[in-house]
Amino acid sequence: MPLQGKAAQKPKTPSTDASPSNPLPATAPTAQPAPAITVAERTQQRTDESRPFEAVRRKSGLAALPDEDRAAWYACHFARSLPAKRTRLPPKFQRELWRAVNDAGLPLRPLPRTYSWGIDRSGQDVGRYPTPRFDERFAKRTRLTELVLQSKAFRERRDRLRSGSAEAGDIITDSDIQEERLRRSEMAKLKSELYGVVPEGGFATDPEWDDVLPLPVEEPEGALATISYPAEYATAISYLRAVMANKEYSARSLRLTETIIDMNPAHYTVWLYRASILLAMALPIPAELAWLNAVALEHLKNYQIWHHRHLLIDQHHPTLASDPAAAAALAASERDFLAQILAHDTKNYHVWSYRSYLVAKLNLFADPAELRAVDVLIDDDVRNNSAWSHRFFLVFSDPAASTPGAHATEHDPAVPQATVDREVAYAQEKIALAPQNQSPWNYLRGVLVKGGRELASVEGFAEGFVTGLEGKSGGKEDVRSTHALDLLAEIYAEKGDRERADLCLRRLGEKWDRIRVGYWEWRRKCLEV
Amino acid sequence: MRQRIKAAKRRARAVFRPRAAKMASNPTNTTTTTITNPGPPEAESEIDEEFVTESITYPRFMIPNLFTGPSPVVDVLETHTSNLQQETVKVCLPFLSAEDEKTKYNIHGVPNLYRKSHITFLRRSIGPMPAGFITADASRPWFLYWALTGLSIMGDDVSDLRQAVVDTARSMQNESGGFGGGGGQRSHLATTYAVVLSLAMVGGEEAFEVIDRRALWKWLSRLKQPDGGFQVCVGGEEDIRGAYTASVVITLLNLPLDLTQESPAYEADGSMNLLSGVPDYVRRCQTYEGGISGQPDSEAHGAYAFCALACLALLDDPRRIIPKYLDLPRLISWLSSRQYAPEAGFSGRTNKLVDGCYSHWVGGCFPLIEACLRPLDDSPPPAGDDATTPNPPRKPRLPPASESLFNREGLIRYILCCCQDQSRRGGLRDKPGKMSDSYHTCYVLSGLSSAQHQWDLTAPAPTLAAGAGDPVWTVLPYVDDGGVQVYEQEDLVRPIHPVYAIPQRSQEGMREYFLGKEGF
Repeated sequence: MPLQGKAAQKPKTPSTDASPSNPLPATAPTAQPAPAITVAERTQQRTDESRPFEAVRRKSGLAALPDEDRAAWYACHFARSLPAKRTRLPPKFQRELWRAVNDAGLPLRPLPRTYSWGIDRSGQDVGRYPTPRFDERFAKRTRLTELVLQSKAFRERRDRLRSGSAEAGDIITDSDIQEERLRRSEMAKLKSELYGVVPEGGFATDPEWDDVLPLPVEEPEGALATISYPAEYATAISYLRAVMANKEYSARSLRLTETIIDMNPAHYTVWLYRASILLAMALPIPAELAWLNAVALEHLKNYQIWHHRHLLIDQHHPTLASDPAAAAALAASERDFLAQILAHDTKNYHVWSYRSYLVAKLNLFADPAELRAVDVLIDDDVRNNSAWSHRFFLVFSDPAASTPGAHATEHDPAVPQATVDREVAYAQEKIALAPQNQSPWNYLRGVLVKGGRELASVEGFAEGFVTGLEGKSGGKEDVRSTHALDLLAEIYAEKGDRERADLCLRRLGEKWDRIRVGYWEWRRKCLEV
Repeated sequence: MRQRIKAAKRRARAVFRPRAAKMASNPTNTTTTTITNPGPPEAESEIDEEFVTESITYPRFMIPNLFTGPSPVVDVLETHTSNLQQETVKVCLPFLSAEDEKTKYNIHGVPNLYRKSHITFLRRSIGPMPAGFITADASRPWFLYWALTGLSIMGDDVSDLRQAVVDTARSMQNESGGFGGGGGQRSHLATTYAVVLSLAMVGGEEAFEVIDRRALWKWLSRLKQPDGGFQVCVGGEEDIRGAYTASVVITLLNLPLDLTQESPAYEADGSMNLLSGVPDYVRRCQTYEGGISGQPDSEAHGAYAFCALACLALLDDPRRIIPKYLDLPRLISWLSSRQYAPEAGFSGRTNKLVDGCYSHWVGGCFPLIEACLRPLDDSPPPAGDDATTPNPPRKPRLPPASESLFNREGLIRYILCCCQDQSRRGGLRDKPGKMSDSYHTCYVLSGLSSAQHQWDLTAPAPTLAAGAGDPVWTVLPYVDDGGVQVYEQEDLVRPIHPVYAIPQRSQEGMREYFLGKEGF
């Protein structure tokens, strides 16, 4: 049924026309550019246009309208109510009615009196937008609809290819994927601008991950110690769970582990999964080591990195068995890297543990470069006990010069006496630099025990740090090293001189190392046994 | 008026400091116990004349100069290590010397334990965490364990958390056995240990029944290595944490010791079980320094010393097994060396800094050490199964310690003076200047508990292999003969099991429940 027809082009006098051909309200006196009006105002104008007699009728009643207008109003009003009345009118009457309506040129369907334009991303009523801004928003919405349709077509094509029900022309090239990627990033941008939708992590919008159904972590109600994960992290983890469940070992899953490690390197599960991907895909280990170097330098405190490195070397080492040059090159590059990382924290426990693993794996015990590297650190800080520990390991766990499995605090006859001499001299030289430094004292004692030497072999050396104990030799009592006094107590006890041993221990508890008095008193009791 | 008092205080300090140093080097003035007579400062007669009038009004605390001045032997040579050490001493001294005017100290210059704010801190630590905590995503079970342990030590009833702990634990369990750091993470021994102990602490059948023991047993079999140790997760590293946490779980849950055929340590002749070779593995971790490293051939470290001793104590009577597998005199020497003056807390390694968490890792070793120095009642000295005894019994028996092997007063001072966050935040910390966190809150409190109590083993414990009961640990508050108690009685915290590191009642509750169960 022609409800508006030509009538719309024959406006009645009081109406205003906001059609594109005449954008100005009829009341506007000049052709100047329209003052900025809001969308809501424009809507109000249009509503008013669709109810030309409304204002007068409201104000003064129908009777105030001229007869002609009143008749037109009646005709329209009646025509509008027809569908609801279900009354069958005689054909003639119908014709008359529609003619009257047409002649009146009134919009048969008035616009609703109130209209909501909704709110935008910042909660502002869109109706209050100035019209140009509204038009811009409208264009964005149009663009988004267009993109959504194109993207939908892409997904459908992809699904057909996956399910084997491809139609002619259904192919997806790399450039299609690239196009789709751009499309989705534009969509995400538009959604964010229009509706404030936070863009999802790369995975949710990446066409490469379309086929994966993410498995979000669901916490039970009232769970403890929950973390409000950033959206990006939560998304990545949900994809990780999905590919792990499928045991997928692929380039994209490798990239996924990298993304997660970057956000949370303490996530041990992702490291284990990464290692299995590397193994399954037989990826080149040197490339992984290079990547790992950068990660380690970025996350200095992390220790999963070091177990991962351990696994990589386990994997890589057998391939070098027949190539001593390559093995030496690996040792050298590892040593360089370790120096670099230890420069940040010379006592990093996990780095040193890895280092001892590496030495055993590549048999670097007798490698002069390894011993030199440790020397450098000891020269730099003679109190670096980690370096001392590593030296002890290098010297006394070398399978070529020790008994495998010998206990650390027991004599090992396989250790050459020349080695013992060298190490005793080394420790003594370092003790001289700072006698109260316990590291070389512990080392010295360890060497003597390993070498099967009597502690008394260093009696004279130790006595050099203690003078006039309780005025015994007439002079003032001076102790430059409590560790010397401790060792002397043992030496005297070893020689059966309980009295002197007891004196050393008593003076330690009374004066030189009072915090440990309980221990020194116990040592005195040990002398009585 | 107020201003004048302040000035007097400052002046008094300036004069007393050098005296403290002088005392430290004067053999006749040094005592090993605290200054016991209250009231005016001791040795008043030595104070310079011009000074006497001021010192009478000066509110003096009884703090032995051991804790307020430098140690008597200090090297001249400066290195990175010694600079850090000096800085740390400088940071701690004002706290140990009771110099903060806003803090309320007792006569010994020790503040109260801020129990209420620490409880609030721990309660909050298991609530929702902001996004910045994502690096803790793999350690969430630890947050439960730390909070529940710390709260239990402070006497805060945690049974209201039962349902939440049960639900959270369920979400972390894997069908293939064990618990991960959260939903969808692989099972790990550290997180499994934390979850199992958390369930023990909230207690009750529903909590105990969360654990799928059959799956757990199968998973543990996969972790067991031929050398006796355990990997911490399938494909993960093998270390002494693995040995300790696995032993805790196995004994607490009364798991069968047989290995499944999937175990890397499986032997067709049945010669290997879940606990075979564990003590040998622990022994291989002892270093030339006497301490224990995380895995063989590394540096001795406090945290691993506790793991080693507690692990051995789970496998047999500690009085028998510890001296059998470890060089005890060297170990005691190393442990004792971890306590430095004036800070008086423990460090974790030779030449490393004091850190409140070692109050537990190192401090927690002493109850075990002290127990194994006391003779087994009536029973003959341990014979050992001679052929396999790694430490031949040529050595004479070590005597029991007549007084404490470590300086309990010092540790308590370090904890109460230096480790408490006195702001509204609450919680305990590594050292002054560091932020409190739930890890430190738990282990500092646990160390405080060790320092305040004395543990004893009253009955010889048959070996696990014999399948009989547990060693009977008994506990009393520690009383220093003739010494002083520097903390207030209201600050005595609850004892904590020296091996399982949870309240004894919780350990017994769970162990008894599973001993009473037949099969899975």
